[in-house]
Amino acid sequence: MADLTLRNIRKSYADFEVLHGIDLDIKSGEFIVFVGPSGCGKSTLLRSIAGLETITSGDLVIDGERMNTVAPSKRGISMVFQSYALYPHMTVYENMAFGLRIAGVSKAEIDERVQKAGEILQLSKYLQRLPKALSGGQRQRVAIGRAIVRNPRVFLFDEPLSNLDAALRVATRIEIAKLKQSMPDVTMIYVTHDQVEAMTLADRIVVFKDGNIEQVGTPLELYKRPANLFVAQFIGSPAMNILEGTVVGKSQGVTHLMLECGAELNVSADRGVLPVGERLSIGIRPENTQIIPAGEHGPVLTGTVDFVEHLGEVQILYVDMVGSAQKYLIKTADDEAYARMDTIRFTARTNDIHLFDAKGRSIAGRILEDHALTHVSRSRFRGDAPGGGGTAQRSAGLRTGALDP
Amino acid sequence: MSVSHQSRETERTDFVAVLAKVCLVAFLISLGVVVLYPLFWMALNGFKTNAEIFGNPFALPGGFSVANYIAAWNQGIRNYIATSVIVTLGSAVCTVLVSAWTAYGLTRSKLPGKPFFVGIVLGGLMLSPTVAVIPLVRMMQDLGLYNTYWALIILYTAFRIPFTTFLIRAYMLGLPRDLDEAAIMDGASEGQIFWKVTLPLCKPILVSCVILHVLFAWNEYLFAMIFTSGADLQTLPVGLTSIMAKHGTNYAVVFAAMTLSALPIVMTFFAAQRFFIRGLAEGIGK
Ligand SMILES: Nc1ncnc2c1ncn2[C@@H]1O[C@H](COP(=O)(O)OP(=O)(O)OP(=O)(O)O)[C@@H](O)[C@H]1O
Ligand SMILES: [Mg+2]
Repeated sequence: MADLTLRNIRKSYADFEVLHGIDLDIKSGEFIVFVGPSGCGKSTLLRSIAGLETITSGDLVIDGERMNTVAPSKRGISMVFQSYALYPHMTVYENMAFGLRIAGVSKAEIDERVQKAGEILQLSKYLQRLPKALSGGQRQRVAIGRAIVRNPRVFLFDEPLSNLDAALRVATRIEIAKLKQSMPDVTMIYVTHDQVEAMTLADRIVVFKDGNIEQVGTPLELYKRPANLFVAQFIGSPAMNILEGTVVGKSQGVTHLMLECGAELNVSADRGVLPVGERLSIGIRPENTQIIPAGEHGPVLTGTVDFVEHLGEVQILYVDMVGSAQKYLIKTADDEAYARMDTIRFTARTNDIHLFDAKGRSIAGRILEDHALTHVSRSRFRGDAPGGGGTAQRSAGLRTGALDP
Repeated sequence: MSVSHQSRETERTDFVAVLAKVCLVAFLISLGVVVLYPLFWMALNGFKTNAEIFGNPFALPGGFSVANYIAAWNQGIRNYIATSVIVTLGSAVCTVLVSAWTAYGLTRSKLPGKPFFVGIVLGGLMLSPTVAVIPLVRMMQDLGLYNTYWALIILYTAFRIPFTTFLIRAYMLGLPRDLDEAAIMDGASEGQIFWKVTLPLCKPILVSCVILHVLFAWNEYLFAMIFTSGADLQTLPVGLTSIMAKHGTNYAVVFAAMTLSALPIVMTFFAAQRFFIRGLAEGIGK
């Protein structure tokens, strides 16, 4: 049982503030994963929780008890280091027993706990070996074993699998998931750069950027409803495509957007927060993009293929679009061949289109099914085409926009 | 044709390689001879009589009689060796432990102004023992340590700490910091981390430091001469000079005494040579 609460945690090194007030509630038994770009403070926060770094201000509360100044070993926390940090001069057994010996646990109980951990982690055969005589995966398991034997309330992992090769990483990931299942009361906090680890292991993912939390949520929440552009682009691989657009008008509860690539998008305006002329970003995931076969009509975006990457089961198309310096990425089944310079037409289901305001915050505006991604002929851009009630505003919006060639 | 050309080419490079190797081996052998021959000669002359030494200094002895060695042993070498062993081992243990603690503090603590303390400790390297002799004599007399083992143990420790700390610190800087943190998570105190984690990992450099210290303390002359006066407290280098003074003309006994005094240290070095080289190579590279 270990509820963990972080309240306005700040951490500075001299004048340099690394964590800018972290608030987070972690329930007992949760598996929390920290992700974020390099240098955003994930390790710093983890080490502050462990007690290896002092907290500059704010409260760290475990089970109702403020832990800021409690000695690391008294917090009921175990940590697994990226480098494993096994004591090279001690056998596997001694490595696991070291903390217990210091805590004054009786010999018999130490033996029992170490043997049990050895069994769980399939290390029984290696207990008398030195770490240097073990493979990377075995060392990793010893590091986990050393954390287990202390019966911690909270487990901390700092990129524990990053030194393993791909196959072993998958296997160990599954081991960790099983381990968590066998210890439902233990809270785990896990730092990783690996999207798959984050998505598969986490009950909730915490996305960090520059010492702030960007979003907390279940893996699916983050994937389906990213709170902002940063999370949208950080979660998912390849990253979400972002298209720039401008609000050009409103009519009958509908907001009309004009994208720089020359498409039009209609959004239900129930938010009422989209003034005409407002710049917006539209996000579509590569895997949610659907290529429209030649001859079929419908709401579309168009572009020319610049490069194709084959990953076996899927292929990734890098597409040049009008009005956008960024390549648009499409992830699609590798059953149809595309070549450089092919012109393709594509679209996305309305539920898969994300909207972000000028500050990058998500707008949960509903995209209207029947008007989604209308391709607009060039002539209409100049405002001479017949339109709905928003023609005047639209052209007004266009004048401020970067659309007109 | 190109094939034969090629093979001639490889023959030539083979020849150069072999020649280089031969030269290297020859060089190393001559170096070995230059270093070892005087020692060997000294040991051999310990078996001769005085007449043989003067008549034919480079000949082999007529017979391997250990009489000179026994004489040297009984005429004080036994005492000198005992004193040297006590002083050397005592100061080696003190030096290495104190230096290791110092190095641990200098590498691990978050002390403000740490570079300053590092500077002070390493600044001791520049302190000349000769300059400090007179105040040290007064101090030792006042402390009642003059003409005791402790005088030498304390002085050797004090004067070797900067250098030894320097070596151990360089080595400790290279130890992964994660291990300390893992030990902290395991609940170890600073002392426990030092004794159970850091010190065992420093073994190679500690061995090197002990050897370097033994070499120094075993051969130290100035302090040993000044701070001891009685024959029962003299170390080997001082003792050897008094043997020479006493048996000025009996060179055979002097040679035997010298051989005996060099023997322990040569054996120590050979026994620990492997650790010694490794510790230094790993420590100084950082
Ligand atoms: N001891 C220190 N002194 C000063 N700045 C530090 C110190 N340790 C870390 N930092 C800074 O704090 C910031 C956060 O570092 P941290 O190690 O927490 O990043 P991270 O999110 O774990 O990155 P990565 O994913 O690369 O491990 C970085 O900008 C780093 O330079
Ligand atoms: Mg990190």
